[in-house]
Amino acid sequence: MTWQRETFKKIKQIPREEHVLPGTSLCAGCGGLEALRLAAKVLGDDVVYVNAAGCFTMLAAYPFTPFKGSWLYTTMGSAPAGAQGVRDALDVLIAKGRLPKRDDLKVVVLGGDGSTYDMALSSTSGAIYRGLDFYYFCYDNEAYGNTGVQLSAATPYGARTTTSPCSLQHPAGTIQEKKDIFEIWRAHKPPYIATVAPRYPLDLAEKFARAATFTGPKLFLALSACPTGWLYDPGETPEVAKLAVETGLWPLKEAINGAVTHTYIPKRKPVEEYLKLQGRFRHLFEPTKQEEAIRHIQERVDAYWRQVNV
Amino acid sequence: MAGEMMTGNLAAAWGARLAGVDYIPAFPITPQTEIVEALAEWCDCGAMPARFVMMDSEHSMMTAAGAGAAAGARVFTATSSQGLLYAFEVLYSVAGWRVPLVLVNVSRALAAPITLEPDHNDVLAARDAGFLQIHAETCQEVLDSILMAYRIAEDERVMLPVLVNLDGFYLSFTREPVIVPDPEKVAAFLPPLRPAHLGFKASAPHALGVAVLGGTPYTYFRHQMHLAAMNALQVHREAAADFERLFGRRYDVVEGYRLDDADDVLVMSNAFATKGRAAVDAARAKGRRVGLLRLRVIRPWPAEAIVTALRGRRAVGVLDQNLAPGLGGILVQEIAATLYHDPARPKAICSFIGGLGGKNIHEGEFDAIFARMEQAGKAGRGEGPVLLYTEAEHREMEQLQILASESRADR
Amino acid sequence: MRSIRFHGRGGQGAKTASRIVGTAAFLEGLTAQDSPLYGAERRGAPVSASTRISREPIRERGLITRPDLIVIADESLIGDPTARVLDGLSERTVVFVNAALPSEQARDQFRIPGRVTTLDLTDMTLRQFGKPVALSAPLGAVACRLLGLKAESLKAAITGELADLGLPETVIEGNLALAASCYDAVPVVPVEEMAGTPPAPVSLWTPVYEPPTLGSARISASANSPLRETGGWRTFRPVLVPDKCNGCWLCFVYCPDGVISMTKDDLPLIDYDHCKGCQICVQECPTKALVAEREQEGAGTWRAK
Repeated sequence: MTWQRETFKKIKQIPREEHVLPGTSLCAGCGGLEALRLAAKVLGDDVVYVNAAGCFTMLAAYPFTPFKGSWLYTTMGSAPAGAQGVRDALDVLIAKGRLPKRDDLKVVVLGGDGSTYDMALSSTSGAIYRGLDFYYFCYDNEAYGNTGVQLSAATPYGARTTTSPCSLQHPAGTIQEKKDIFEIWRAHKPPYIATVAPRYPLDLAEKFARAATFTGPKLFLALSACPTGWLYDPGETPEVAKLAVETGLWPLKEAINGAVTHTYIPKRKPVEEYLKLQGRFRHLFEPTKQEEAIRHIQERVDAYWRQVNV
Repeated sequence: MAGEMMTGNLAAAWGARLAGVDYIPAFPITPQTEIVEALAEWCDCGAMPARFVMMDSEHSMMTAAGAGAAAGARVFTATSSQGLLYAFEVLYSVAGWRVPLVLVNVSRALAAPITLEPDHNDVLAARDAGFLQIHAETCQEVLDSILMAYRIAEDERVMLPVLVNLDGFYLSFTREPVIVPDPEKVAAFLPPLRPAHLGFKASAPHALGVAVLGGTPYTYFRHQMHLAAMNALQVHREAAADFERLFGRRYDVVEGYRLDDADDVLVMSNAFATKGRAAVDAARAKGRRVGLLRLRVIRPWPAEAIVTALRGRRAVGVLDQNLAPGLGGILVQEIAATLYHDPARPKAICSFIGGLGGKNIHEGEFDAIFARMEQAGKAGRGEGPVLLYTEAEHREMEQLQILASESRADR
Repeated sequence: MRSIRFHGRGGQGAKTASRIVGTAAFLEGLTAQDSPLYGAERRGAPVSASTRISREPIRERGLITRPDLIVIADESLIGDPTARVLDGLSERTVVFVNAALPSEQARDQFRIPGRVTTLDLTDMTLRQFGKPVALSAPLGAVACRLLGLKAESLKAAITGELADLGLPETVIEGNLALAASCYDAVPVVPVEEMAGTPPAPVSLWTPVYEPPTLGSARISASANSPLRETGGWRTFRPVLVPDKCNGCWLCFVYCPDGVISMTKDDLPLIDYDHCKGCQICVQECPTKALVAEREQEGAGTWRAK
């Protein structure tokens, strides 16, 4: 049975109103900002964003904020705990009559993959375990981007970063496989988890709309194609995101109370088409083509989709 | 004797309870656990209308505490030692948010080697974070200081978090009589929390703790924290006067004992100051004119009160219950710098290091302290750091080393 | 000591240019110091880098406040108050502008009080590579020429610095050829020592306490980021060819910065004050109704693929 969108069926249902305004210092062509902007169109303005250190730190930089909602910058390792504090305080103040119910806010964590996959894992696990009612939005650009593109646990095999260079010992660059954070989250059994990609705006918007019906942790893993770190022209961000999905490398899926549904079944182009577009994989093609590394990446994708059993 | 027998930990929990806190994120660590256990029980049974949440680490705990306060709640939490250090970056963050929460630290020496008993390297490591610090000598003072801490923290002239310190074991697990203040009087002392710059709500969004670009705004905001902390001296004075009027107990930023005609003054802090008082009495019985100055508020640094208490003395000794390797005692540096500009500064400043890892300070050691201070005062030349560590203790130490190093073949 | 300040947009190569000049001077036996000023800014945002070269020990650090030579990679920076490209210059300061205008005209048009020289590096680079790339080598070449550093030092410096960036040999070769022509083509104005404005005397200020509504890093203004314009980041601007637009909304949906809105008639309206020029809309437009035009008066239209 194919997944049906119920709220967002046509592109012109994407709300016109902007909730993350321009004027920020994020890179031109930022895939993470593209995903956040679309998400915010569903989340609205009654939001407090609890930010972890990362590229998005620069969204609200004194004296400017792009948000009509609120913002709290915490630390790299504890934004979900910040969300806990805000949520708990709002609950207590509403219960005690010190805050009108109409002033309540959705609490949304913003974390990059460095925070999400590495440093804030304990804090995130704790928040999910406690059943905290919040959204977690991870903008995953597969490296520590804000510090200049170093290896994170989200960096995929074969990508070159400044700390996993292509070398004689490691011609493929990164030799680790990307950590499966979706499954780590799923093992905690939160009510809602989804992956999204900015080139699939209806899929993204629909998932935020569906998530709103659940109380508890709602986790979003957003592919955040990154011209600066992945080394492609900024205009190609949607194309790169599209190929990530169409090759099967970035499955679009959701898990409701643990039950996984793939929300889009790609025809699965060869991974080469995706890799070739990006400078971070250029060493797999020049000066000599690393057939084995490319085959390895393809086999991993094939194995994933075999077990999906669509 | 009025009051009831309770530990310093329970007194701390009572402080939070009487302050009417809204929110307590918690994480256990010895010797603080009794505080969070008591609070968990009171929140659970409805004795306290607060939300108690067990967090996954002190780093998360401190973040949740700061965030809850940023959202407008009155927040309490407590930790100790390694936990304080695990939360360390967050101390600076929440102070920068200017949230008026209260954190109790139960002092415990820092690893490695890991140990359980107190010294002040943990709490003094946090002295530059932007938290105010109150160091308590008695269980009663723990409770009272928490109430004063909220009053000072929440004043618009301050709006900084406050750390209240009590020594592990010597206060945390030690029972003594404590008067639990009347809740109605506490309500009169502590007005409701209504911070103008905090509170997230849909109708009035704002961004807090945002990044700044460049040194100018950073300098300005960091300096504002300094001004806020300095304002706390006046706010403390007002709070102390009100507290005395309502509860009959007086707390100043520093506390003198038998200072009036003292030639030499020993400076101490926290629970061992009680032993210092006894040592002063004993020394005076032997004819030495000595006194004690206890530092109670360490941030803001009460420079004026310290100069007033110590100017014109022959010798000042500072007993640091901490050790900064490569420097010596921490507080003696601040005392010396504070006294330097006074024309009647003491002729000698002596530095003593004692009570590390909870090691007892014997009467004999106090005798030695006062003897060395007198000598230094007469010579007009200070000394130190002098380690308070006895020959008997060293013999014990050598036995331990033998046991630790003996190989199987030697036996 | 001569002090050279480079201004560009993130990704344009100002930092590498500053290093090329530092290395070239070092190779000639001078003392050199080069340092970028890292803001939190990103690709496209104004950045600067400072290089000092001297026969004596250099007793300075950080951003140059008294520039002898200012090298501007992008003329749009001159009008951007956040870029502060003309800070500290005097009439004796030499200002190089990457622009398609003769020096005199640039001097008048941009109202630069210093001694101006220009060359259209963007056009020369496009000719060399067929697409916009970083201008490190051409900027370094121009600066080296103006400072009287030798062509062979420049060549060695470019080779070293670009290899350090991991660029392939073919790209380095292209940059060397490009740099050589820029070195020869730039109209030379000699760079004097200590040409910048001497620092003004300062008065110390003692702040007083303010309540944390003002005295902490807090923003109570709502969504005020549009006050900060990022339109100057563009090298190319998306331009609508209305006849070709089918009103599909894709440009509006994909724009990361939300600078495209749709009119009642479903035509995209681009906020050029904030469009960073990423070209996503140009790339994704299914009917090629959006085209990229180079951000420079009088220059021809350059079309993305």
